[in-house]
Amino acid sequence: MLKYAWVCALLLVASLQLAQAWDGATVYFGLAALTGFLALSLTRLVPAGLAGLAVMVLAMTGGFFAAKGASPERDPAWVLLDTVPRLLTAARPAPATPELLVSGLLLIIGVSTATVLSVTKRGTALFVPALGVAVLYVSAALLTTGRADRYGLVALALVVLLSLGWVIIDRRGPVVPPAVLATALAALTLLTFVLPTNGFEPRKLVKPPVTNIAITNPLPQLASWAAQGDAELFRMRGPEVPVRLVTLSRYTGASWEAAATYGPLGVVDPPDLPIGGKFRDASADLRITGLQGEWLPGVGKPQAVSLSNAMVDPDSGSLVLAEGLRTGLSYTVRGVVETPADADLAEAQVPANATRYTALPRLPFTLAEYARQATVNTRTAYEKAVALEQVVRLNRRPDAEAPVGSSYARLETFLFGAEGESGAGAGTAEQFASAFAVLARAVGLPTRVVVGFQPVPEQDGERIVRAADATAWPEVYFSGWGWVPFDPVSGNDSGPSAASKREVLNRLASTTAKPTPTTLASVPPLVQPSAVRPDAAAPAEPGSFPLWVFSPVLVLLVLYVARTSRRLRLRAAGPVGAWNEVLDSLQLAGLRPRPSRTVPDVGRDWGDAGQRLAVLVDEAAFGPRPVRRDDSWQLARQVGKAVRHKASWWRRLVWAVDPRPLFRR
Amino acid sequence: MIDTGEVSAFRDLHTRLGDAVEAAVRGKRDVVDLVLVAMFAGGHVLLEDVPGTGKTTLARAVAGALGGISRRVQFTPDLLPSDVTGTSVYDPQTGQIRFRPGPVFANIVLADEINRAAAKTQSALLEVMEERTVTIDGVGHAVPDPFLVVATQNPIDLDGTYRLPEAQLDRFMIRTSIGYPSAEDELDVLRPGSGAGKIADVRTVTSPREVSSFGERLAQLHVADPILHYISALGTGTRTDDRLRLGTSTRGLRTLVRCAQVYAASKGRHFVVPQDVQDIADPVLAHRLVLTRESVLAGVTTSEVLADVLSRVPVPKPAAPSSTAP
Repeated sequence: MLKYAWVCALLLVASLQLAQAWDGATVYFGLAALTGFLALSLTRLVPAGLAGLAVMVLAMTGGFFAAKGASPERDPAWVLLDTVPRLLTAARPAPATPELLVSGLLLIIGVSTATVLSVTKRGTALFVPALGVAVLYVSAALLTTGRADRYGLVALALVVLLSLGWVIIDRRGPVVPPAVLATALAALTLLTFVLPTNGFEPRKLVKPPVTNIAITNPLPQLASWAAQGDAELFRMRGPEVPVRLVTLSRYTGASWEAAATYGPLGVVDPPDLPIGGKFRDASADLRITGLQGEWLPGVGKPQAVSLSNAMVDPDSGSLVLAEGLRTGLSYTVRGVVETPADADLAEAQVPANATRYTALPRLPFTLAEYARQATVNTRTAYEKAVALEQVVRLNRRPDAEAPVGSSYARLETFLFGAEGESGAGAGTAEQFASAFAVLARAVGLPTRVVVGFQPVPEQDGERIVRAADATAWPEVYFSGWGWVPFDPVSGNDSGPSAASKREVLNRLASTTAKPTPTTLASVPPLVQPSAVRPDAAAPAEPGSFPLWVFSPVLVLLVLYVARTSRRLRLRAAGPVGAWNEVLDSLQLAGLRPRPSRTVPDVGRDWGDAGQRLAVLVDEAAFGPRPVRRDDSWQLARQVGKAVRHKASWWRRLVWAVDPRPLFRR
Repeated sequence: MIDTGEVSAFRDLHTRLGDAVEAAVRGKRDVVDLVLVAMFAGGHVLLEDVPGTGKTTLARAVAGALGGISRRVQFTPDLLPSDVTGTSVYDPQTGQIRFRPGPVFANIVLADEINRAAAKTQSALLEVMEERTVTIDGVGHAVPDPFLVVATQNPIDLDGTYRLPEAQLDRFMIRTSIGYPSAEDELDVLRPGSGAGKIADVRTVTSPREVSSFGERLAQLHVADPILHYISALGTGTRTDDRLRLGTSTRGLRTLVRCAQVYAASKGRHFVVPQDVQDIADPVLAHRLVLTRESVLAGVTTSEVLADVLSRVPVPKPAAPSSTAP
């Protein structure tokens, strides 16, 4: 009994250690650690292998229904398989939701079953518990990146407990060869070197699941927000920073488009263009009071959101709440805000490979020429951006009533339209930002457009963001410094960078002529770009989980059950059954005897047990009276073990599920 | 039905006999066992071997251990049938014709170099072997029980010999050879002062009565149906083999069953198993097979053919426990 108390203590310590990777899962994990004893009680009825299998099947079924309950509309099998990636992409510690708990619980149940069942056998009584505990400990260390056992106290406790086992467990009889133990320990030691738990991040190994969300472009909504004026959208507590709603990276020539695939937040998948060298953390509490749609307002590049179902596009940092915003929704966003100094940007380069942010399908010549003229004397990327900012702003006025749209045609009207033409020289933030972005892209600057809200002054500790605060601004990426916002609406008269920008402009003004609209009226108007095909095929929706992935497992399971029931049948059949078991083993080992060989002849090859078994078998088969009590099954198992020992490793691998004995005649 | 108690008693006796004989014949326990099997099964033994391997010693040692009478007949071309069976002579004292028994009136008869005698004399012996009586002048004289003829035949130096015809060979239950002893045993035999070959040292461990009573009882030993099927299949195997002109007869198979019974009992079992059949198939059956001319020329032996048959015919599979015996 002492050894069961020992293994129970071991499992509890290891499981509770693993439980720290979840938020409030201690009770579940403690209970799961004890399931091995359920298997132990089952061994009174069925062989140990079958008992373990039964418990695992039970656990899998439980997991199946938990998964089904968690997402009723999806295939539970898929949800179940998805739990590990979900766990690795969830917040840390993971919330104790069924679908996130399932993988951890199954691991514990498996380890517990194997460990408790192994304690009943002398040979594995020390080895398997040590291995199982090591598996649990390493899992915990990986899931918490070493935070669960910062000072190694749990590891120490486990080692002490394990060495107690050395005293408690009866080590007589066959034990695992020291070579195996040494190899296992060496492997574990190596593992701790290869996977330094404080720095290793298993989440990097998982490709986060992505979801396709088709959300309409929010740019045109700027006009309607402008019309709503004082309507309150949300309240915010936090620093005075612009609030970002959505980042638009793709321009089709007709409109801007947001990313279409989103993954859960908490993903460490880095953005395609790295964050700049200087940044600070910004955290804000937000409460939705009127904003609608799926876009979730955030600050900076979001790192964490208190909503577990929020998803993010890692490249742009746009946050999405698939079920939509509702009034009263409160949450906290923590993000990174890049803070490059003006001096840093002056000589900064732009990346050459960011073609995604410079793509302009079928750019009209007029726009390209306009951009070229505007930047004709500029030296650096930053100068180009400042020049374009100025050029777009000059002689144009913000007009909330202006026609919406960001197609080439609308931008041409906005930039070059004749006096009196609707929308000529007038536009909302949409046209200012789009015009800057298109011109900047035309001269090779990686540019994107952000829809968001201007910083608003604080009142009683809260910032009330209203519809009129909605705006859009372009951002240019500078290598090493990240995305830098520009403001072509209000220009560079104010703001932190105003002085340095004016300096740039003064220098340029002496050399640069004001760009004029090109007179090449005969240039074919390439202004009706058709819809551009998505540049990458979106990942297929994994809704219909292919059942065939499970079919090999199912086949193996069926084979195992068939083989086990055959063994049970043979076991009940006395010496003759025992002999058939030996013949099964011989067949599995590829040592099937010729049919003309007699039982004692075959038995002689397998030592004393084989000879004794042969005597019993002959009497049972050819004697005048049935044999009563006998130890033939034990002998058959001894022989079987010897036979198995002789078999090659690959035969041993499929030993329990090889179907050939089922067809032996 | 013979029970386990009787079987173990027989095994004891068999072991005692074997041990006693082995005092004189070293390292040939298997041959000794075969001779004893033939004796208990009521058959006769043909030893085919070169001179000097201990054929005669073996026969005399068996006789010594048995405690019965043993006689030896050296067969020569001029030996007459009456020299073997005995003859009626006139007794001048009583004035009556009296039967004077020949050397066959013994428990163990050693017929040395049986192939040197004329066919007539050979057949006289073979007749006694089969009938167990000697009929002289219309009067039958029964030979003692047990009655075991151990005939020897020298396979070399065949000039002036009369080979036993195949039909006659069938009369011998077992044909075997002794062969040279192992180096270790030979050293033992060579060592001056060893008891090897000293018939006088062989202890008498049983009586003819005890042996003959067991002989009848052992015929009751259990032989399961699958074993009989197996023996029958072996017979068919020899009859269908291309290399054989003549397969084994039904009498041969019957003899095999009988020998298997004794052999099983000598191993302490009260039932016959396939291994018993395989173990004694060669000494019981090989001399009953007749090769085709081509096979003879090809140098095949009947033992090889029989080994092929044994390795071809599947042994009965151990099946569910046999139903209660009748």
